[in-house]
Amino acid sequence: MKAFKYILATSLIFSLGSCGNFLEVEPRASISDQQTIIDKVSSETAIRGAYDSFRSYYSVNLQSIGYLSGDNIQWTGSQSQVQEFINHSVNAENATISGVWNGIYTTLNRINHVIDKVPAVSDPLLTDALRNQIVGEAYFLRALGYFDLARIWGGVPIITKPTLSPQDNRGIARATQAEVYSQVIADLELAEPLLPATTDRFRATRKTVWALKARYYLYQKNYAKAEEYADKVIADASYKLVKPYNAFFANDARGTEESVFEIFYSINETNSHRGQWQPQQNGGTRQWAPNDAFVALVNDPAIGGTRNTLVAKDNQNRWYGNLYYRSPATDPTFVIRIAELYLIRAEARASLDKPAGAIADLDAVRERAGLAKTTASTKADILLAIENERRIEFALEPHRWFDLVRTERAAAVLNVNDPNKLLLPIPAEQLLTDKALKQNPGY
Amino acid sequence: MYFTPKESMSVLRIMAPVKQIVLAFLLLTIFSTLKVNAGELISLKGKVTDAAGEGIPGVSIQVKGTLRGTLTNADGNFEINVDQPGALLVVSYVGYVTQEVRTNKQSSLNIRLVADQKQLNEVIVVGYGTQERKNLIGSISKVDPTDVKSIPAGSFDAQLQGKVPGVQITSNTGVPGETVTVRVRGATSINADNDPLYVVDGVFINSSSLQTVGTGGKATSPIADINPADIESLEILKDAEATALYGSRGANGVILITTKRGKFNQKAKVNLNVSQGVAKAAKLWELTTGPEHAQLVNEWWINTGKDTPSLNRTTANRPFRPVSEGGRGLPEEQQTYDRLGQVFRTASLKNYDLSVSGGTATTKYYLGGGYNSQESILRPIDFNRASLKFNLDQKISDKVQVGISNTFSRTFRNQARAGDGPAGGLLQAALHTPTYLSPYNEQGVLVGRAGFDNVDLLLENYDVKAVSLRYIGNLYAEADILPNLKFRTSWGLDFNNYDENEYWNTFLISGSPDGLATASNGQATTWINEQTLSYRKKFGTKHTLGILVGNTVQSNVSTGTSSTGRGFANNSFKLVSSAATTTGSSSWSKSNLSSFFSRIDYNYGGRYLIDFSIRADGSSSFGADNRWGYFPSVGGAWRVKQENFLKDVSFLSDLKIRASYGTTGNQNGLGSFAALGLWSGGSSYQGGAGIAPQQLANPNLKWERTNQFNIGADVSFFAERLGLEFNVYQKNTSNGLLSLALPGTTGFANYRSNAAEISNKGFELAIHSVNFQGKSFTWNTSFNVSRNINKIEKLENPLEYGSRSLILQQQGSPLYSFWVYKQLYVDPQTGNTVYEDVNGDGKITIADRQIVGSIWPKFFGGLTNSFTFKGFDANAFLAFSYGNKVYNHNKFFGEGGGARDAARIIFASNNDRWQNPGDITDVPRPDGVNVNNYRDGGSRWLEDGSFLRLRSFTLGYTVPVRKISALRLYVTGSNLFTITKYTGLDPESSSSSGHNEQGIDLGTPPQPRSVQVGINITL
Repeated sequence: MKAFKYILATSLIFSLGSCGNFLEVEPRASISDQQTIIDKVSSETAIRGAYDSFRSYYSVNLQSIGYLSGDNIQWTGSQSQVQEFINHSVNAENATISGVWNGIYTTLNRINHVIDKVPAVSDPLLTDALRNQIVGEAYFLRALGYFDLARIWGGVPIITKPTLSPQDNRGIARATQAEVYSQVIADLELAEPLLPATTDRFRATRKTVWALKARYYLYQKNYAKAEEYADKVIADASYKLVKPYNAFFANDARGTEESVFEIFYSINETNSHRGQWQPQQNGGTRQWAPNDAFVALVNDPAIGGTRNTLVAKDNQNRWYGNLYYRSPATDPTFVIRIAELYLIRAEARASLDKPAGAIADLDAVRERAGLAKTTASTKADILLAIENERRIEFALEPHRWFDLVRTERAAAVLNVNDPNKLLLPIPAEQLLTDKALKQNPGY
Repeated sequence: MYFTPKESMSVLRIMAPVKQIVLAFLLLTIFSTLKVNAGELISLKGKVTDAAGEGIPGVSIQVKGTLRGTLTNADGNFEINVDQPGALLVVSYVGYVTQEVRTNKQSSLNIRLVADQKQLNEVIVVGYGTQERKNLIGSISKVDPTDVKSIPAGSFDAQLQGKVPGVQITSNTGVPGETVTVRVRGATSINADNDPLYVVDGVFINSSSLQTVGTGGKATSPIADINPADIESLEILKDAEATALYGSRGANGVILITTKRGKFNQKAKVNLNVSQGVAKAAKLWELTTGPEHAQLVNEWWINTGKDTPSLNRTTANRPFRPVSEGGRGLPEEQQTYDRLGQVFRTASLKNYDLSVSGGTATTKYYLGGGYNSQESILRPIDFNRASLKFNLDQKISDKVQVGISNTFSRTFRNQARAGDGPAGGLLQAALHTPTYLSPYNEQGVLVGRAGFDNVDLLLENYDVKAVSLRYIGNLYAEADILPNLKFRTSWGLDFNNYDENEYWNTFLISGSPDGLATASNGQATTWINEQTLSYRKKFGTKHTLGILVGNTVQSNVSTGTSSTGRGFANNSFKLVSSAATTTGSSSWSKSNLSSFFSRIDYNYGGRYLIDFSIRADGSSSFGADNRWGYFPSVGGAWRVKQENFLKDVSFLSDLKIRASYGTTGNQNGLGSFAALGLWSGGSSYQGGAGIAPQQLANPNLKWERTNQFNIGADVSFFAERLGLEFNVYQKNTSNGLLSLALPGTTGFANYRSNAAEISNKGFELAIHSVNFQGKSFTWNTSFNVSRNINKIEKLENPLEYGSRSLILQQQGSPLYSFWVYKQLYVDPQTGNTVYEDVNGDGKITIADRQIVGSIWPKFFGGLTNSFTFKGFDANAFLAFSYGNKVYNHNKFFGEGGGARDAARIIFASNNDRWQNPGDITDVPRPDGVNVNNYRDGGSRWLEDGSFLRLRSFTLGYTVPVRKISALRLYVTGSNLFTITKYTGLDPESSSSSGHNEQGIDLGTPPQPRSVQVGINITL
């Protein structure tokens, strides 16, 4: 029975040999979470991972909350969650708000890892300047995350530590909206000195912090501070209102002088936003489109001016929005444009009873759009003119809804008479998984 | 440390002397027989044939009352000496009724054996061995796939619907070769797989689709790579006694596929089967005409204007008003365009199988080739498979045998998106585009409408192709090392290469504006090595003991690479390499499994049977602390009929009572690295590499455990003409693998844990009856019915699945329950839908959504009647399902009452809407999308999916022809009728292959009605 002995011996050796390392298989596309941010290179890659994370909600979802909830856009598709924003009756089950909530907190976790670990990295190649820059960027990004949370939902849980186990960062009650805004400004104050005063349109610098501070103070109705920080950015020669209007986005433009902060996309890092806007002939779904009222406004030479390049007609005579159009889908997300700083300063100055300065800033934006100077002269008229200017200038960017909410004009303009609707509902599944969360009133 | 084939051959050559000795012994025996009987005997010749007139080799012929006997040769001929003219010959062969034939003066006998309907001695393949049916303890169903082979489906599993008690099979679609849902005794898991383990000739094969191209939620079935014609038998292992030897892979049942092999001492047998046929949809959807659509949209417009004056919607500005007033024209001016007629066709079906099998004293072989081509009734989808099968067994000596099984196949698919999704969605484009919209725009150019592609352009330009190359092979050697001790070792390989190419040109949404091509290649490789040592011995007259020990080592590797190109010079360039910009990605995963197993069985006098088995599995996919799992089972059976008190009850042929209890596991679908805490790369920014947290570690991650109790009885009457098999079972699954939702604040959506508990309990009844058995007429009936009750016993938070969260997994309810607003009635005064206000707060909110039914039927099964009359044979097979629900999602979109205006079709059923006070109808007046009457998740579209279907009907005639062993002509029809209340096309349609999204019918072609004619020749 030699045959049997050979066969048995071989199979035994084989089987026993398989017991040790055989059951230890390491992945190739991922690394263990025990060794993540440990040196210069991993610090740099981790902050890039944080920027990348913004794409998960800044590409489409957060944008759509901002403009769908306004009065420029109509819904033409099949997903009724889109119409909920237009009708101002958003359900807690709405997938878009869930996407934004999870997107922001996922991003915050990446940021918190950087803030927690990069300061402790000991690598001679990691200079203090670079370390400060990375940590400063992380603080800026965290401020942006909490700013959006606060303006969409009001008070939310404030998370400042990374999640290392399933037990971390849960069961934390919602802070107040004021506390969340305090976190925003605290992070911006931390970021400002750490960051260099260079110009980078795709990553945070000290100037980017100023720009967000200007917006922050406008939301806080701290007009003096808003004017001060808008001043700092506008005064910088690196930023200009590019002309004509579409020069900041047409012909595959990116990172123009218009841009203070935009999120970078490339062939390998695509932005699906165009798909929602472009008609079928361009490979999109035209899930939403400019509504009749907005089409009329933007095509009115006295109101839209050269901003009529924001819309175009498809082969079925239907209008579509054309700010996000590139193929491959590499359209940037415009987070802060210099036009916004002008209009922030205009609004701040108008509110501070500096009508001349306000009108000058407003006209700068109008002039760029090929429009005549404003005829507004009273404070109320100027503020209304700024509001209307913003409606057209940022029609396809996430401003209209947040503007009307912060100026308490949503009832008058959008017929949103229930003040509870000015904040969106906490996503329903979050309330299920975390009992510490309480729903916003009215939902 | 493989044992290469070359080495094993040289080892086995050592056995050669043994073979010679055995031969010598045999010769000696034969000579001695001759010597004793020489002299006064009469020589007799004859032939033994089967019902088809084909010679049967190896039949035992014995002269009754003597020791004299012989076997038939390869042609079925024999020669025997008898001492007197009226001698009685006993003719016997496994699987046939033993006959006694009286000889007379004739010198040549023709004996026709009748196949044995008695099942007790039938050989059943069990885990790592075989058993006679009478000695089975576990619950195992054996299926002869012959009758259903002509049902046009890509894969054999789809053909088995209704054939096996306890096994629920749902076809999902009319696209051949797509995944079929197969559930053995219910479902046990939420996030792991619920598919059974498929074992082909000992190789654990991959049954998960390698498809990466999006076809609207559907996936191709790797099971379709196997040619059903090569399958000899299918055994479905259901209870723990039967499945525990498959340990961590056995919880969802095991399907053992045994392919055809030759027989020793059989002359070459050639079989040719050719069939051709056509298939067609039994019915299509009924849609509104253009004028009807326009009328409904106007109604919706005016209604919503009344409900919400701020919308400023009035009769004056209704959409379908005269063109002169700026409208789209009056309703009666609208045209009606048919798109369904463009996409549905009469499909052609072709099948060719040719095989040769046979054997010498030491070699047996089976060689089979097949080609199957099936068009889908939905243009331009088609499926074809070319396959080659080669099985060879070689006796090296009387103690050592080696052999190999090989399956090669190439499956080609012309694919199209027959499922959810706008871009490229073929059936949705045809079905969901409003009929009043012209396929042309004002300039006379073909355009897509309602967000969908243009149907003409789709049909003309669809270019999505997939080719699967598959090899499944197994090489074994077995040796009788002692008289009762057998050793077997085998090496198996399942290799699947799956190649996909898409080209979307500029006429299509996906390819706009300048073309899109993708090319991807996926590979799944499983190798498995297995050793078993089995011992079986009878002690004294009553005690039989069997012991099996074995081990297996297996490894699965999946790899994928894909590339995408955009920007083509023109539509003639179709490869990624021609694109202006290209991107690529790749994936890799690997999991290893090492196992040891043993089974001990004991049989006392054929009366009391007991066995115990255990398997230990070590898996690389689990946390270091939980690598090893142990899966024991115990079973017993009492053959009551063998007891003295029943021996004389003549009408009772057999009575056996069985019981088993054991544990099996499940890890499939979990992913290879689920237990690890990981960060991933790929989060790049501005072209620089980026990293990010991917998943949290769970070092405690372990198997899903399923404990199953089974009690059953097998009883047969009247010389086994009536047989019953009954089983009752209870399966409890704990440590259910679950992606447990984490609060968003953690930065993770979920993490893998063992958090769910699910139970399945039910019964199965199978009845087999030989109703009539005459010389020229036979009639057999088999019937089975099963019930499974599924329940989620523990689940912390409910989980929503499917479009509009139509399915909710919630503790206390069955898996795949429908979560809807229950429509009570349409108020005859207002025309508004009234829903059940579950919490009684006077408002309809999400809190009023409730579970109404599930995809699980209350009963399901099948009924087969087969007849033979002289040369004719007929077989009618009905499958049924009762009490299951289907969500008619097509109708949800199609019964919106105009609220989606130009964005969606309106079904003709919407014409029955409420219009005037006093109207009694269940279709409310049109309001807005997701407002009240047309609410997402309304129960109005949740329908009874019960059905009774004539799954197949076959009529055959065996033509008596000389020189040919058999020639049979047949005609077979499938799905000739379906009785159902379901208002969609097919109650089995499901638009997603994801198991948590079953039972939602959207954009899916129905299973067709088909008729085929065929010829089967055996030489």
